[in-house]
Parts: sequence; structure tokens; C-alpha cells
Amino acid sequence: MKRVLEGSQAVAEAVRLSRVAVISAYPITPQTHIVETLSDFCAQGKMNARFLRVESEHSALASLIGAATTGVRAFTATSGQGLALMHEVLHWTSGARLPIVMAEVNRALAPGWNIWIDQTDSLAQRDTGWIQFYCESGQEVLDTVIQSYRLGEEVNMPVMVVLDAFFLSHTYEPVDVPEQEEVDRFLPPFVPKFKADPAAPCAFGPLVPPAAYMEMRHSMAQAMEEALRCYPAMEEAFEGLFGRRYGMVEAVHCEGSDIVLVTTGTVTSTCRQVLEELRGKGEKVGLLKLRMFRPFPTDEIRRHLGGAKKVAVIDRNFSFGASGIFAQEIRAALCNEPGHPPVFGFVAGIGGRDVTADTLKGIYEHVKAKESPDRESVWVGLQEVRNEA
Amino acid sequence: MIEIRFHGRGGQGTVVASILMSKAFYRAGWQVQSFPFFGVERRGAPVEAYLRLDEKPILLRTNVYTPDHVLVQDSTLLHSIDVTRGLKPGGWILLNSPGTPENVERYAGFRLAWIDAGRLAARHGLGTRTHPIVNTTMIGAFARVLEIPPMEAIEEAISEEVFIKTGKNIESARDAYREVQKVGLIRKAGTG
Amino acid sequence: MEKRNDTAKTSLLILPRTFTSTEANKTGSWRYLRPRYEEKTSPCSNACPAGEDIARIEMLAEEGLFKEAWETILRENPFPAICGRVCFHPCEGRCNRKEFDEAVAIHQIERFLADTARKNDSKPVIVGRNEKRPEKIAIAGAGPAGLAAAYFLTRLGYGCEIFEAREEAGGILRWGIPPYRLPLDVLQAEIARIQDLGIPIRTGTPLGPSFLSEARGKYAAVFLGCGHSRPRGLGIPGEDLEGVEEGLPFLASIRRGDMPKISGPVAVVGGGNSAVDVARSVARLGGESWILYRRRREDMPAFETEILQALEEGVKIRELLAPVRLERKNGRFVFTLQPMRVDGKDVDGRGRIVPDGDVETMEFAKVFKAIGEEAGEDWYRPPAEDRDVLRLSNCTVSMKPGLPVLVYGGDLAASLKSVVHAVASAKEGAIALDILFREGRENLSGGLLKCRVGEGPSLSMEIHLGGPRGRRSSHIVSYSEINADYFQMAPRITQPRLLPEERLKGFDEIDLRISANLAIREAGRCFNCGLCNQCDNCFLFCPDMSIHRGEGGTDRWIDYDYCKGCGLCAAECPRNAMVLEEEKGS
Repeated sequence: MKRVLEGSQAVAEAVRLSRVAVISAYPITPQTHIVETLSDFCAQGKMNARFLRVESEHSALASLIGAATTGVRAFTATSGQGLALMHEVLHWTSGARLPIVMAEVNRALAPGWNIWIDQTDSLAQRDTGWIQFYCESGQEVLDTVIQSYRLGEEVNMPVMVVLDAFFLSHTYEPVDVPEQEEVDRFLPPFVPKFKADPAAPCAFGPLVPPAAYMEMRHSMAQAMEEALRCYPAMEEAFEGLFGRRYGMVEAVHCEGSDIVLVTTGTVTSTCRQVLEELRGKGEKVGLLKLRMFRPFPTDEIRRHLGGAKKVAVIDRNFSFGASGIFAQEIRAALCNEPGHPPVFGFVAGIGGRDVTADTLKGIYEHVKAKESPDRESVWVGLQEVRNEA
Repeated sequence: MIEIRFHGRGGQGTVVASILMSKAFYRAGWQVQSFPFFGVERRGAPVEAYLRLDEKPILLRTNVYTPDHVLVQDSTLLHSIDVTRGLKPGGWILLNSPGTPENVERYAGFRLAWIDAGRLAARHGLGTRTHPIVNTTMIGAFARVLEIPPMEAIEEAISEEVFIKTGKNIESARDAYREVQKVGLIRKAGTG
Repeated sequence: MEKRNDTAKTSLLILPRTFTSTEANKTGSWRYLRPRYEEKTSPCSNACPAGEDIARIEMLAEEGLFKEAWETILRENPFPAICGRVCFHPCEGRCNRKEFDEAVAIHQIERFLADTARKNDSKPVIVGRNEKRPEKIAIAGAGPAGLAAAYFLTRLGYGCEIFEAREEAGGILRWGIPPYRLPLDVLQAEIARIQDLGIPIRTGTPLGPSFLSEARGKYAAVFLGCGHSRPRGLGIPGEDLEGVEEGLPFLASIRRGDMPKISGPVAVVGGGNSAVDVARSVARLGGESWILYRRRREDMPAFETEILQALEEGVKIRELLAPVRLERKNGRFVFTLQPMRVDGKDVDGRGRIVPDGDVETMEFAKVFKAIGEEAGEDWYRPPAEDRDVLRLSNCTVSMKPGLPVLVYGGDLAASLKSVVHAVASAKEGAIALDILFREGRENLSGGLLKCRVGEGPSLSMEIHLGGPRGRRSSHIVSYSEINADYFQMAPRITQPRLLPEERLKGFDEIDLRISANLAIREAGRCFNCGLCNQCDNCFLFCPDMSIHRGEGGTDRWIDYDYCKGCGLCAAECPRNAMVLEEEKGS
């Protein structure tokens, strides 16, 4: 049934429908509505889950590692500083091969203290061994959480479902909330491949010597590759039941377009409208929505961007001393392709600044006017700053 | 696409008004998107919320800069906030006002309507006499002013979302629907 | 670590985990320090003359096991309802919690437990020896010492018979303590519980000196707990004038329900508890009480709380005033008094007082003497120590050939005249007799030493009878041995009490009951020094999972095959119920 839901509520509904058994989280804006809704569900008996209250995000994820090791579905949610505090435990989760799912509401990192959207928090965790999805709408958020349990459990890797602060987390829009029986068909009860068993005591996370560590890490690398292989079948099944599919990437009019804009999150949505307008005027412009970031869908990216004359990547994040992070990755994916298009990098909407239709049109005009990028990143819409020191 | 901006103060249910309105419009067949001003607010501070309406799915995910209409839950805000900021010419301004608004020239080029929502809400026991909760009353009046959505959609949205004094909230919204005063287009002084 | 290829479809799942047990590695062989559970003695318990197991009492009270807590008191003291009210609680003075915030209100919890047991009409179940012994024991005096002696001796299997000169049992508790401190029904309930053990109390049966020889053959021992009843004189002219009264008979008449109307200023000479009780009773009967004391106020033997309450009730105290003479003029007493001052120290450590200036006079409508009593009969007095007479901490044992063993107890021989010392004296006498009859005279001193709580002189029946808590070591836990990180500051409970104006309206008990919630909270403040209360810190902290728990989590032991002796368990024990020792012989 379609209901008008807040993005945060869509996450919570998905967690409920996924029959998660243990939730542990620490409140932080703009993630708080997610766990508030979940704690309501638990209190009202709408969910049969244990809600653990903990003293920090580090403890939230650490406690879920314990829970998930016993072979149950586990969920947490966080944002910005909270995710940064979790960093160490993120590695523990993936190394322990626990398919925990997390909703991560992108929030800028302090200082300056800022509660608004900026993707640097989740992108800074790209090497922790978590699968990452960047979502565009409340519907996509709900669907992706459910998909994440199936995919994560298949390959034994944790999944981070990333959504924009406020533009998605606090926005109400119609969302189709599927029936429990339908979700159960897509996501049957979790059958763990291993779990702590008091009858067969063993140690989890012991010392792994040089003779074995590399193989262990290699198996994680393989699991990520396996996730890429499993994804289409998973989405096939999802579409069969719910009629919706998203893809690891979504190509909109990429074929035959001179310029392709690469976007993530809610910017994609606004960009779709800009695309209609520009194409209506006869502009040969396409859009590639990057949805799955880890594992990185290199082949898909090459396939959709290889034919373009120019590529423009819009980053709501930045790696200091380098460039926007998505731009780096796209460049790296393309660089071994002969005759690959130049990649323009744009940094926009950092720390909650709006990325409007005009912003996107300005980027398009910029790319159209230039043969090749004259620097790695263009910061869009910077204002003059007076230093009154 | 229609964009609506809601003005109020933290604690007055302004964001809830925008959500109730979005749910009412959705019931009436519209595509909707509503969201608060993204900030950190406390009780009493000016707050804003927004609502987008369209017949087709709404792709735009940005702030609202040029609303088609505005709703002002608290007329004391008029001293500190320009509620006409970005408002499209001819757009409706619905004020919660205890009487006929004064200095209406400042709304020249816009259409004005008002309702004594505080009195109605207090009459129905919503909030307290000194701090009535007017959000449901205001959206009842707004439905009449915009002539969308139908009043039944507003009532259904209130029944679905408001769990305290549901009936009283609906009654107050209905009263406001009947009693709202449409002043209409305000012309510039001297132009007759 | 092990590689697993579950299905062809899933990727390699190599987990950082063990698949074989490491139990083969007996890491305990590395140990050079050995932790061990060892319960120790709490300082309160050591300070309690009756040797109550306070750490355990508070633990049980906190758990809401009120009857079990009350029975734990009864193992060492037959009078929790009395001692919870009138004892001067030396336990609290030694409470380790005092160093942290404030001492635990042990006496309030004791009273709560006793009152709760009475309200519920609980019947105590006290396990431990009660095998019948052939020896019969006569007890002279049904005061606190005599009653307690009968109680302990009965538990040890001896048939007892109590002889009481007065018409009712209770002694000083019945006749010397006013009802506002100890209501009659409370006392009667405690006595009834002793009678319920089948102990006959022959009231109105004074014993004469010939009794000792008559007792031969019939009784193997006589416990003399006759108390002090003969007033000591002031030794001044006029003290025998009509209208000059002794304190104790006055208190006894109030206990009988005789409430004379008193008006005008009344002098009470003395500084002990009886003097304060007389003064406070006079205030209740309408008189204006003046306590006259030779020394300084801080030298008064009366309990400080009693003195403070007396002052609240309007009693006035004049210190450093020695009586010189009493005269009667115009129906009033003219009291000539010598002001004193402190000059150096007496042998007992108190300030030595010497006259200071001219005498003064004060006029009174009435005068009470309350400077203390001595043994009522000469034959009550314990003999000097010799080959057959052994002076113990709180009693004297005479083992003259041809006579029953004589135990002089209670006020006759105790180190301090208090109810709890009477209990201590009775327990010491009872254990002494038990050792004498069962193990012989040569084992008496050594046997008594073994029963000490900590370093003594308090003794424990639990230890004497070999009960489980008797195994705690004699080491007294100090505050520095408490791991205070595990405790949070919490204020001590305040005693709910009648307002002074309400108190003066009559003789109602002035200290009010506390609720079960408050009692539990107060008991929860107890560190439980030296007592394992199953907090499980050892279990949680042990990095080798070598702490094992029994069914129901009440028993703990250490698996020395794997314990590496890191000592975390002992270090993290909040209450010093563990020790860490060097391994021997390796």
C-alpha cells in the first residue's frame, strides 16, 4: 500500500519487514527519526526485536557484532560523527563476515559543526569492507534495505544503505510499503552459514598469522566480487515480486549522448528533471546514477560511459589533497579503456548547500564549453569569504 | 507544480500542518512531497515547512524558493519575517489573525485570506487558551482558500495522523473551512 | 582457522575463528600467583559486641530476604527489635562506608527487619546444634544477660531455668528504659520468643546466697545476670531528705504506668543514660529538667544521640558542677553546687576536675539522683581472679571444686554496661560453659579464641558451631581494600522521628518505622565488606574464563588448570572477598 512516509520512516518500515531481530543504535541528527520509529515499533509490539540502548555508536555496532554472531539479523543507523566513531568496528564487522545492515544518513563532519548533507562521512569508510548503496528516494531506501539483507547474507558482507540528510531523511513522499508476506517470499528467514554455538565453543576474531591473514582478506575481496555477480539475480527476484528495479547503476539516455552527468543520491532526482528540460531543447545529454559504490561496478560504468564524449561527475564530498571521491573512482575505472572520455569533476552541495536545477544546468554548460577539464575539481557556487581576522 | 510554504513557530505544529496537507492531497490524487526547513530549531523560533504538489511524480529535490502560496500560523511573525519572500504574484497568503489584517498594502499583488484560527482552536479545546494549537484549523481554512483538496481529504488525513482530540481537530478544521475570510487580490495603493 | 567452501555459489568464506578447542593448553601452569575466594571479617561485625554478621544481614536485606536477614541476626543476638532501638551501634562507628560518604544506618535496618518479622508473625528457623546435653543450668536474673544466656545455652543443647526476683521478666529493659525508647510490646515480643523455646522463667523468685550450695548436683552451672540495682550514694549532706529520689525506681514507676504530675525545676544529678532518661521523663510529665554533671558534657557516659534528643526536648544541662549539699527551705530544695574546672587528665583519660571558685546555689522543686548503681548483693560480685577464676572479656567464670560452675555476666562483669554487652557477656558465658562441658577446662581459653570475630573480643556462635560463615578469615577489611570505583555516593537514610513538641505529649516511641523501600535502599549502600554477594565481577573480568558458577549462580570456583594468576578477579572484587597469594612449592 502506498503511504506518505518520511524517508526515515521508510527505512524503519523496511527494517520491520525484514524481520530484524536485534537493533542497536545511538541517536544522532539527522538519523534519529529512524531509530525513534524503530523503538516505537518495538515498544508497540509491531516488531519482535530487541532494541539495545548503548552509550555510543562504537558500542552500537560492537553489540550488533555479538548479536549477529549468534546468527540473527541485526540493524543499526548512524550519521556523520557517529559513523566516524564506528570506524574501527566497521572493519570488525566485515572481517567477521557478518551481514549487518546499516542506514547511514550522510552528514557533514565537524568542525564546523554541521548537521546537513555531505557524503564524505560514508565515503571515508569505503575501504572498510562494507557494501554501499546511495539512494535517491524514500521508495528506493525502503527497497534497498530489504535487498541489502538478501545480498549481504548471500555473500556474508555487511551493507551500508546511504541516504541524504534531510533531502531524503526528513522528506515525506508517497512510498509503497509492501505486505509482509511478499517480503517474506523475497527474504526468507536468515539461515546463517556459521554462528556461535555454546555446544561447540570457539573463539571469534582471534589472532590470524601472516600465513593465513592474506587468504582471509582475499576471501573478502572475492566476496565483494561475488556480490557483483549475485546482484542481478537478486534484483530479478525483487522485480518479479515488487515490480521495481534500480540496477547497480542506472543509465538514463547515456547511449548516444555527448555529455553524461554522473550523480548519486537526491541530486540524481533533480538531475532527471534537468535532463528532460535539456533534451527537450535538443541537447545530447545523459545521466548515469551511481547506486552501488562498493563493490564498485566498474564494468557497468565502462559500458555506459565509454561512448560519451565527456563525463561530468558531481561530488557532494571531497578528498582533501585530491578531488571529489566519485570522480576519482570513475577516472580510475575508465583510465585503462582506450580513448576514454575526459572526466570533469564538480564539487557541489557540501554541508547542506542546495544543488538546484540551475546548479546542474550551470555544470552542463561548463562542460559543454570546454574541451577538457583544466583542473581535477571545480567547486561550484563558492561565495566570496571575507576574513575579518 | 504547486509549491506551498508554511510559516510558524517551533512547537506550533507547523511541520505537522505540512505533513497533514501532503497526506490530504495525496488522498485526493496528487503527487506530494513535504519537508521542513532543515535546521535546528527550538520552541518559539520561526520555522518553515514546505509542500510540493503535482500531477506527475515530483523529481525536484531542492529547497522551495518561489512558493505559489503561503500559510502563516502566527501573525506575530509578520513583524520579523517577510512572508512574501519569493512568493509568486497572485499567490494566496492565508493569515491566522484575530481580526481583519492591518496594513494590507504590503501584500499588494498577492491574494489575502484570514481566519481567527486561535479563537476557533481554543473553542474546540485544542491546546490552551493562551497557546492554542491551530495547525488543523489552518489547513481547514487553506483547503477552502485554494479550493483544493476536498475537505473530506483533509478530514481523513487528520483522522489518520492526529491521535489526540481527533474529532475536535476535525470540527475546528470544518469551522475554519466555513468561516475563512477571503479578501482576494490586494491592489497597490492609489491604483483603485 | 579453516577454509570452507560451503557451496559453489557462495564465495570463499574464510573466517577469523578457531575450530579446535584450546583446552589442551593448560595455561594455568604459567601461574605464580593464585587467586582464591576468601571471605573476610567486616569491621562492623568486629565492632558489634554481639558479633552480628552485618555484611550478610545487609546483603540479604537488600535482596528483600527480610526473614533470612532477621534470622541471621538471631544467630548472634536474640534481641534485634531491642538492639535496633536502644543499642549505641558501635558497628556504625567502624563502617567503611564512613570513609566514602556516610556510615550505613545499620541499626535502622536491624529494627526494620525485627519489626517486619513481628508484623508477619515470623517464626525463626535457626539451624545449628541443638542436641540435648545432660547438664542443666540455672540462670539468675531475667534481664538482657540472663535471657540471652538462656537463649544461647538452649541452642547449645542445655536445659535452662531462669529465676527472676521481680514480678516480670526484662530487667533493665523492663524497668530502666522509658517506653519512648523501647515500647513494652516490643520487649514482650522478644521475651516471648525466648519463652517459646521452652525456657521457664520463674518470676517473683529471688535467689539467696544459699542457692549456690543448693544448686549443687541439680545444676551443673549457674549464670548470674542479676545486674546492678543498688544505687550509689552522692555522699553529700541532705541526699536522704524526703523528696530526693533515686532515678531507677522513678523510671520503674513510669514503666508500671504510674505517671505523677511534676512541675517546676527538677534537678537530675548524673551524666549516664539513666540520668538522661530521668530528665526526659520529667520533661514529659511537665517538669523543667536540669541535668547537673560534675564533668564536661563531652565526658557524659550517656549516648550522644540521647543527649541531643534531650536538648531538643528542652532539657537543660549544666556541666562542671559537683553537688555539695542539699537543704530544704520553704518546700523547695536548695542545692549547693561547686563549679569545677578541668586540670590535666585522669588515669581513665577523661579530664581531671578540680574545684573552681565559689560555690553557687540553685533551687529545685524536686531532685533525682542518677549517678549509677552497683551489684544489689555482695555475693553477686565476681571474685578476684585466681587458679579457678577466669576473667574473660565480658564475664567471669568461677570453677571452684565442689560447686557448680559460676558465670558472672551482664553488668556484673561486662566491660561496658549496655544491652549489647549483656548479650556479648551471655554469649561468652554460654560458649565458655559449652567448651568446659564438652572439651574440658584445658581447652577453654583456646576454644574461646577460635570463636572471635576478627581480632575479637566479639564472639560468634556461627563460628563456634562451625557454620558456613564461620569460615571467613579473621582479617578485618579496611576501607583501602574496598574497590570504591564500584560504588556511588548515596546519602544515608534519615531517621523519621516525632517532632519535639509531639514527643513531650507522652511516652510514645519517638523513632518511627522506615518503609521496606528505604530499608532496601539503605542496605544497598553497604559495601558488604569481605562478603561475596555474587556480583560476578570476577566472572566478568576473568580473561581466561576460569571462574565457574554453580546452579543458581550462588557458588563460585576457579579452574586452576587455566587460571594464569593475572589477579584481575581479586583486583576487581569490589569488597575484598578474594585473595591473591604466591604459589607455593613450585
